[in-house]
Amino acid sequence: MQSIIILSILVLLAPLVGGLVYGIERKVKARMQNRMGPNILQPFYDFFKLADKRLVMVHSTHAFLGVMHFISIWVAVAVLIFGGDLILVIFLHLLSTALLIMGGFSTRSIFSHLGANRTAISILAYEPVLIIMAVSIYAVNGSFQISSIIGSEPLLYKMPLTFIALLLILPIKLKKSPFDVAEAHQEIAGGAEIEYSGIFFEAIYTAKWLDYIFVYALVFLFGGSNYLLGAGLVVGTFIYLNALDNSSARVDYRQMLKFSYFVALPVAFINLLITLFN
Amino acid sequence: MRPVRFNINAKKANIQDAVATVQAPPGFSGEGFFTTKMSDVVGLARKNSMWPLPFATSCCGIEFMATMASHYDLSRFGAERVGFSPRQCDLLMVMGTISKKMGPVLRQVYLQMAEPRWVLSVGACASSGGIFDTYSVLQGIDQVIPVDVYVPGCPPRPEAIIDGFMRIQDLVGQESIRRRNSEQYKALLNSYGIE
Ligand code: SF4
Repeated sequence: MQSIIILSILVLLAPLVGGLVYGIERKVKARMQNRMGPNILQPFYDFFKLADKRLVMVHSTHAFLGVMHFISIWVAVAVLIFGGDLILVIFLHLLSTALLIMGGFSTRSIFSHLGANRTAISILAYEPVLIIMAVSIYAVNGSFQISSIIGSEPLLYKMPLTFIALLLILPIKLKKSPFDVAEAHQEIAGGAEIEYSGIFFEAIYTAKWLDYIFVYALVFLFGGSNYLLGAGLVVGTFIYLNALDNSSARVDYRQMLKFSYFVALPVAFINLLITLFN
Repeated sequence: MRPVRFNINAKKANIQDAVATVQAPPGFSGEGFFTTKMSDVVGLARKNSMWPLPFATSCCGIEFMATMASHYDLSRFGAERVGFSPRQCDLLMVMGTISKKMGPVLRQVYLQMAEPRWVLSVGACASSGGIFDTYSVLQGIDQVIPVDVYVPGCPPRPEAIIDGFMRIQDLVGQESIRRRNSEQYKALLNSYGIE
């Protein structure tokens, strides 16, 4: 009973932690570019400000899809924290992105269409690796249950290549350079969420924080029962992502797909074969 | 030598900067609690999260790019996220010569922004027409939209733009939370023919 309460509190706190991660990331990024950078609490200022903007919506379905995007990713994070099914988590996450894409396509704005299209392309790029990751975790562990993964030996030692593949696709997932085609600010003015505003944009904005939690929780899984290792992996991934984001330029979406299919996917697949035949 | 301190002496990173805090709004504090007014908190949040919409039509826009870049770093004020969708932005920064044909476009962009919204007019051209005292140039954007702060200069240096920005922040922080419902604001907008 008590553990359920603790887990529920963790789920409720997830957006807060995500916001903090986002704030720290902005600061780190600024420092890497030799500037001061915003306040660490900046995401929360944005949050309060957005809450009080006047309501402007394109049409109600559009707004609804945005809010559902937020809710479904929160549910995905909740299942992840409660130690549910890994496949369920991955597909809930896919569902949330699909809702965002539908939202993007439901307006008449051409930029919104472009952004949604590119988000769909980036799903094509990262989703296979996530699914292969889940399958190889099953092959190693005999279960999709996150609670049993967390209780077992560190996955990192058994499937290092999968972890590398995950690292390779994380920039696509989090829309970081060099694979940030989905929200390329200079080209397509911001991605599928371009038509959202006020409180609905807030939902999208907060969903982004939850995305961080989702990704870092996935990374944490690789530590297994060794929580220290998991935390180390999370910190390492954070530094890696930011360093990569600041030191590389955006590539074409075709190059991104090629990279994902010819580099990341084979790496994950080789690891799957090795675990299957061991 | 340029009159900028950073250029000569590189500024050392300071631990104080990393956890830069904003000034807490006035209120009562005691052991373990702090109370203040709702409007102050919202004002504080708004003030530190002004998302600018750059409406850059000519040379002053270049100066804005310098302001955004790492040397002057507008993101210190929470204005890191430059939005290119009027719906998501709070501050319309008009930089450059606005010709008479551009006037309705500017007005359209202003109308698309969700309240609360502010306007910063950067440079002589946007504020008054500047050197272009001709038949084709709008003599100041305040003929089509209400302006909150004017920044003089041709072009204004980034410091001046930042100064204008900070004045906007002062305005925003002190404003009542529902200015958009007040009679005065409505009268102001009506004088521009905006409902
Ligand atoms: S004020 Fe001067 S620098 Fe600015 S747009 Fe006009 S002419 Fe160009």
